[in-house]
Formats: sequence, C-alpha cells, structure tokens
Amino acid sequence: MQYKSHHVWWVIAIMALIFLIFIPLSIALGVRYDYTLTTVAVGGALLGAISGMLGTFTVLRKESLMGDALSHAALPGIAIAFLIAGRQLGWLLVGAGIAGWIGAQGIRAITNTTRIKQDAAMGIVLTTFFALGLTFLSFIQQLPDASQAGLDQFIFGQAAAIVRRDVELIIIVGTFALLGILFFWKEFKLITFDREFAGANGYPVQLLDLLLGTLIVVAIVLGLQLAGVILMVGMLIAPAVAARQWTHHLGQMTILSMMFGAFSGASGAVISGIDTGLPTGPIIITVAFTLVFISLLFAPERGLLWTWWRQLQDKRRFAAINVLIDIYRHACQHDDPHYPAPEGYLRALRGPIAKTGLYYLHKAGLIRSVGKDKWALTDSGEAAAIHEDRNRLLWALYRQHSEALSLPSIREEREIDIRHCLPEDAVSQLEVLANELTDKQNLES
Amino acid sequence: MLIIERMIIDILLNFTSIEQLNTFMAQPRNVAIIVGALVAIAAALPGVFLLLRKMALTSDAISHTVLLGIVVAFMIMVGLGANPDLNSPLLLIGAAAAGVVTVMLTEAIYRSGLVKADAALGLAFPFLFALAIILISHYVDNVHLDEDAVLVGEIGVAYANINVHCYEQCDSITITPDDARAEFGRRCTNCSAGGLSPRDPEAEFETYCINCGTHTAAEAWRERLIDSPPVQVRWPRAITTMGLIALVNIIFITLFYKELKLVSFDEALAGALGFRPTVLHYTLMILVSLTAVAAFDAVGSILVVAFFIIPVATAYLLTDRLSLIIILSPIFGIAGVYWGYDLARGYFWGLPLDGVLQWLDSIIELNGYTTWNTSISAAMVLMLAAIFVVVWMMSPRYGLIATIINRRLRRLQFEDQMLLVHLYNHLGGEREAEELALETLHQHLQWPRMKLERVLARVRLRQLAKIQHGQVYITQAGIEAVRNFAEQNLPVEHQEQIIRAVGD
Repeated sequence: MQYKSHHVWWVIAIMALIFLIFIPLSIALGVRYDYTLTTVAVGGALLGAISGMLGTFTVLRKESLMGDALSHAALPGIAIAFLIAGRQLGWLLVGAGIAGWIGAQGIRAITNTTRIKQDAAMGIVLTTFFALGLTFLSFIQQLPDASQAGLDQFIFGQAAAIVRRDVELIIIVGTFALLGILFFWKEFKLITFDREFAGANGYPVQLLDLLLGTLIVVAIVLGLQLAGVILMVGMLIAPAVAARQWTHHLGQMTILSMMFGAFSGASGAVISGIDTGLPTGPIIITVAFTLVFISLLFAPERGLLWTWWRQLQDKRRFAAINVLIDIYRHACQHDDPHYPAPEGYLRALRGPIAKTGLYYLHKAGLIRSVGKDKWALTDSGEAAAIHEDRNRLLWALYRQHSEALSLPSIREEREIDIRHCLPEDAVSQLEVLANELTDKQNLES
Repeated sequence: MLIIERMIIDILLNFTSIEQLNTFMAQPRNVAIIVGALVAIAAALPGVFLLLRKMALTSDAISHTVLLGIVVAFMIMVGLGANPDLNSPLLLIGAAAAGVVTVMLTEAIYRSGLVKADAALGLAFPFLFALAIILISHYVDNVHLDEDAVLVGEIGVAYANINVHCYEQCDSITITPDDARAEFGRRCTNCSAGGLSPRDPEAEFETYCINCGTHTAAEAWRERLIDSPPVQVRWPRAITTMGLIALVNIIFITLFYKELKLVSFDEALAGALGFRPTVLHYTLMILVSLTAVAAFDAVGSILVVAFFIIPVATAYLLTDRLSLIIILSPIFGIAGVYWGYDLARGYFWGLPLDGVLQWLDSIIELNGYTTWNTSISAAMVLMLAAIFVVVWMMSPRYGLIATIINRRLRRLQFEDQMLLVHLYNHLGGEREAEELALETLHQHLQWPRMKLERVLARVRLRQLAKIQHGQVYITQAGIEAVRNFAEQNLPVEHQEQIIRAVGD
C-alpha cells in the first residue's frame, strides 16, 4: 500500500484518540483532576501546542538552536520586569519577549557585520544574556520578599505554578499567535522554503522574518514557565521534528506538531503535578523525545524501519529479477524456454544473491525444481522473464536515445517497469525502436 | 592528586615562604582569580578549534550533559557502597563519557538523514539533560548537585575548599598515662546508674586520663601539648584540578597543533593524507567534557560556555593567524576574569558601585536594591562580553567601525568611478553636449542633484574632472583613473575591450 499524504489524517485522528484515552486512563491510574491539576494540564497542553506550531517553522528554517539562544536571552528581561512590576506573568512575558528579541537582533548583528558564524554568535549572546540575567537575579535574591521564589520556575520550569489567570493569558496570546500564522500563512511558507523567490516577487522578506521571529520569541517566552530556560529548545523543536517524519505538507506538519506538543505538554504537566518532586521540563522533554524516537523509527516512507524494509524488498526483487533473466537467457541459448539451469551455474554467475533470488522465484511459482539442483521456468515464469527482458531492452534504448527523442529525463532503475516511469507516448516510441531492433536480429539469425 | 599538589607547593616554596603562601591563598580574591584564569586557559584552547569547526554550540550541549555523567557516576558510587565524593576521578570518567555520548547521539540522529544537524544537537542535549535532572530529583538527595550550583558555580568560595599539607611538626602525638603531659581528672562511676548526686556519700570515684589517646598535630597544638604550631600549607583544591586540566589541554594542543589545524581547515584533505579526523575529533570532545566538568564547581555549567566561545571569538576578530588566536584567546579570558571579579565585588576600576547604586536611588526609586551583590562568575562572563564588544567595535580589520568606514569609502569610490566612467564614455560622443551638460548630468546618472554635486566636488578636488561652459569634462588624470579602475576591477576580456577603447 502506498503511503499518501491524506493518510496523515489517520495519524492525526489516532493522536486525538490517544488524547481521549489519556484522560480516563489517568483517572483510572488514580490521578484526581482537581481544580489545580486541570488548570495545569490545560495550560501545559496549550503551551505545548503553541511551541509545536512555531517550532515547525524553526525546524524548517534550520534555526533550531535559535530556540536555545533566545530562551536563555529572555532571562534578564524576566528579571528586570520582576524588579519593576513584581510577579505578574504578563509583565514578565513582556520583559522576556523584549530581551529575547534584542538577543535575536544581537545574533543577527554579529553574523552580519563580522566573520563570526551563527553558532558562535548564538553562543556569545546566550551566555552573555544569561550572565546578565543571573546578575539581576542575585539582586532580587537580596529582597526579604519571598515572592522571588516564583522566578526559579523560569530556569527549570514548574507547571504547578500555573494558575487560572496565566491560562487566560496564554489563551489570549496563543490566539494572537495562531491568527498571525494563519493570516500570513502563504508568506511564512514562502520565506521558509524559498527566500530568494519571495524577495524576487516583492514580498517584504525582512519584515516577514522579523514578524515570524517575534512570534517564535513569543512561543519561547510562553513556554519558559513550563519547560524552563535550558530545556525550552527541546520543547520547541522535538514535536516539529517528530511531525516532520509523518508528512511532506506544511499544514499537516503544523497540525501534527501542535498535537505532539500538546500531548507532551499536558502529560508532562500532569505527571509533575502528581509527583511534585519532579520538575516539569524534564518530563515534557522525555515524553517529546519518545515521540521523536517513535516517529524516526516507525514513520511511513521516511522512518528507519520503513527504509530498512524497503531496502530489503529491493534487494530481494533485484536478486529475483536478475536470476530470472539469467535462467531465461540460459534457456534461450538452448532454444528451449523451459530448459533447466544448474544452480551452480547461477551461483557462479550471480554470486551469493542467487540463492535469495531462487528462493523468492520458487515461492512466487515462477520456477520449478527439476532434478537435483536444477531450475526451470514455469509458464508464468517464462511470461515474466519475457516481460523483464523486454523491459531491460526498453531501458537500454531509453539510455541510448532519450536525448535524440527528447524524452523526459528520469533516474534509471532497470528493476522497475519502465511503463510506470515514463509517459505512454514515450514508451510507445521506445517500443517502436525495440521492435525494429528485434526484427533486425531475427533477420540476421 | 595530593602528591601533585605537594610537588607544586614545593616548587613554589623555592620562591616564597610558607606564611606568605598561606596569606596569599587565604584571600578569596587571589584564589578566585587564579582559578578563573585557569578556567579561561583550559577552556579557550579547545574553544579555538570548536569555533573554527563551527561547533561552538557543541560546548553548550556538552557542558549541560556532563551533568548526566556526574549523576550516573554518583549513583554508581552509591550503588557500590562507596562514600559519594565529588572529587572522585570516577566523576571525571563519567563526564568524559557523557560528552562522548552527546556527540555520538547527535551524530547518530543526524546520520539517520531524517533530521538536520542543528536540530539533531537541539534534540540530543535537552534529552540527556532532562534525564540528568530526573535522576537528580528522584535518586540523589541532599548533595551538592543542587540546581543553583549547576547554573552559577561557586568560584567565590574556592579559597575555602582546601587540602592541608603539613611541613613541620606534623607527627600525631600519643599521650599515655605515664606521659608528663598527661592530665587527670576524677569522675563518678555509679552516679548515673544509681541516680546519685556526686555529693552523695555513696558515690564512688575513679581517676582517669583526660587527654590520653592519639592527637593530630593540629589538635595537639590546640591543646598546647606541643610548643610550636605545625607548619601547614593550606592549598585550594580547585587550583590543582583546573591547573591539571589546563596543562592537559596545553599539551594536547602543542602535540597535535599541525593535525588540529589541518582537520579544522580541510577535513577532507586531512582524511586523504591519512589522518584519522574521527579520533582527533573525539579526543577534542573528551577534553571539552573534562574542562566543562572541572569548571563546573567554579563557574557553573552554562557560564563555562562563555569561556569556550567569547574569548576565542574576540581573538578571531583581531587576527587571521591560528597561532596568534591560540595565544590571544586565553589572554582575553584572563582579562575578563580579573576585571570580572572586581565588578562582582563592587569596585570596578576603583569605582565604588554601591555608591553608584545609592546615587541612582536618590534620583529614581530603586526599591531598596542599593547593595551591589552579584554572582562572581556571571560578572566575569559580562566582562568577557564587554571585551568582545569593545574589540568588535574597534578591531582594525574586522571591527564594526572599520567595516562601516570601509563600506562608506568603497561607496564613495564607486560613486566617483560611476561619474568618471560616464564622463569618459560620452567624451567626444554624438550626444556629448546633452550627456555632459552640468544642468542635466544628474538625470543621466539617475542621481539626486545633491548627490551629483557632492560627487562632482570630490572629483574636481582631485582634478579628475573640470567644468567648462556648463559642460563637465574628464581630465587627463581622470582618464588615467578610469583606465586603472578598469584594469583592476574587470574580467580580462572586458579589460581588453576597455583598454582598447581607452587607447583609441
């Protein structure tokens, strides 16, 4: 069965189903959804979804580590906002956003005006801003005011600290981010995949970069209280990397990434909500990384298992077809299509894959065993061999004449039926050539 | 470890006395700056090659994941029933292993071909770090591995964490009851058992020796059992650890300088010449891990990254020569450490920062944040960054100011050339009168009039063009300039065309 893009909706539906199962399952396991835990779970899910949504763009733009740099860069903003306004999530987020934004511009300034590459520029901004943040934090720690304890959550993440008002704020900001993404969907898609093309068509690339960058900073800043400064990069990119394995479509990838993010966020928040000894960030990252691991292994088309299986199949098919042709040619030399070929001869000709080929040909009923270690074509085997032989001839002709006949240029794979690879009229042109060739050979003989 | 320390101290004692050494090492400032300088040297050396190989953020990843190595080593020690000790060599092995695991995991994810290189790093290290945090919070309680130490480090208290090396009067003293120094007392033998008061007539007493037993030299001096105190050197442990790591890094860089250079600039060539870049690569990663874990106590896991990257980037802006970068980077690191300590302690270049804050408080409300108190390692990193910014601005070749000036000069030069080429091309041409008229020249060049006047003034000042009867003409010197410019800037075939044209 071919894996088509619309099959991703099944994956999305299954994720939704897992969500639905997750709640009764956790209740069955003894989780009690009181007011606090519900708030934390909803907050975690929302934050995960927002990170997943914007993480898609970060990963596709190959700026994954920007998430790391900017989450560290947000710290001084948080600290200054705390010094000015106290522990109010809204102001802390504004501070973090401004600092993260300045950090992003700093990285751009360093890479644009010097020969320092982006990785080192990110390292410089990351550590400097973090040191600045720690400096301000040590000022805050002098205060007798106990409310400074709330700031630690930004370094390691503490979902338990999310309250109702935070969730409302997250919903508002998240809605704006979602609307921004939806409104500029086409533009963001364009600057993500082909900046030059976007620029040449008159899109304000710099401005769009800035807008998308700002939205990413918003996602990072919101996610900080869940995952913490250090692990935020994982929360941003892991859902997107996992989602990337399942689909080639940006829209599907974004939806899937949001679901993965929401799942990791909610489960991390709930698990750490139950056992308060566990910080939220690490749990979320572990869940998200498990999703990545599953995706890398099992995703159709791209996944490692899938690739491994396909390579195995190709190898078997390759062996079978080659051995089939060998038997056929051997038989043709004896002017009897059912003339048996000795196994030793085939092995000498084809090497170790001969045995594999014989096994699968026999299983498919294309050859039968005649006497000791001798193999002859069956009727269906003869038909298949003639077909394959013809196919090879067509491929050979394609290689010789494709330019002269101005046929479409494709990758040559002799084991695949050429009729699947080329348009009909091109094949019929090749057929004409092939008929001429065989006629000439018949005449000569 | 102790033997090495003893050797270092013996060497130092050739130059100074024990008292001086002790006084020096009792100063938090001296110890912090020495340890910081050693961190700077140890980190900058591998940092050079990280930067050149565009792997700067690998140091960030490794400095986080060494925590996992430490925790696992810690758990193994506890599991074996050994006394958990944060100075055990097992921790170093664990850290080196964690660094290698990080790099291998990143490469494994990347090699699957499904994930880009940057995302692979961004997946690998948060995962390993998350594991470390989960393990800490679940299995390792009440140890030094708390979260603040992970982030900030405690370079300020490095002076208090010492090994004592004794030089004279070191023997422990055993006092027997026969000894002249033995002191005796009386105690009641049946008081507590019988509930009697010592004054009770039924109480029984015995004589016993108060200070019998074995005393270390220090205890013996406290009890005044010996006449003079033991002569000891109090040596901060961090200096030995960091010094060793710095030494290992220096040796590695010296021995493999040529190979590292080759691998950093042309990995393919290195492979073709028969070097094994992989071995060198992993050795470098092990050194980064060891440096990160040794610097862990001193500056914390995030800020050590600054010592890997920032001084090297600073040197990289100043020079192209690898050997110079290797020498300059530790120097910038040490400078940052030195000024950073003063910044943290509130006396920056003699400026009392407490006073500044109080002055600020009198102008704007500071809500009582008037005492200057910051983390030392953070202040050091800020100074590293400040040095970077200064060099970034001022560097003669790659600095911001130099770049801006160069760009501007090049633009001016380009404008001059545009004008001269225009004047030259239309000199003696059919539409000369129209194209070279002063009134309309700016329209032909599609420049604002002001711009033309500026450029024209410059060109006339250099006597490359002149104005006659409302027409602008190129002078002989101007023609020379166009010819030079054509020779320098155009591909050969165009040069020939132009030279031919100019020659006509």
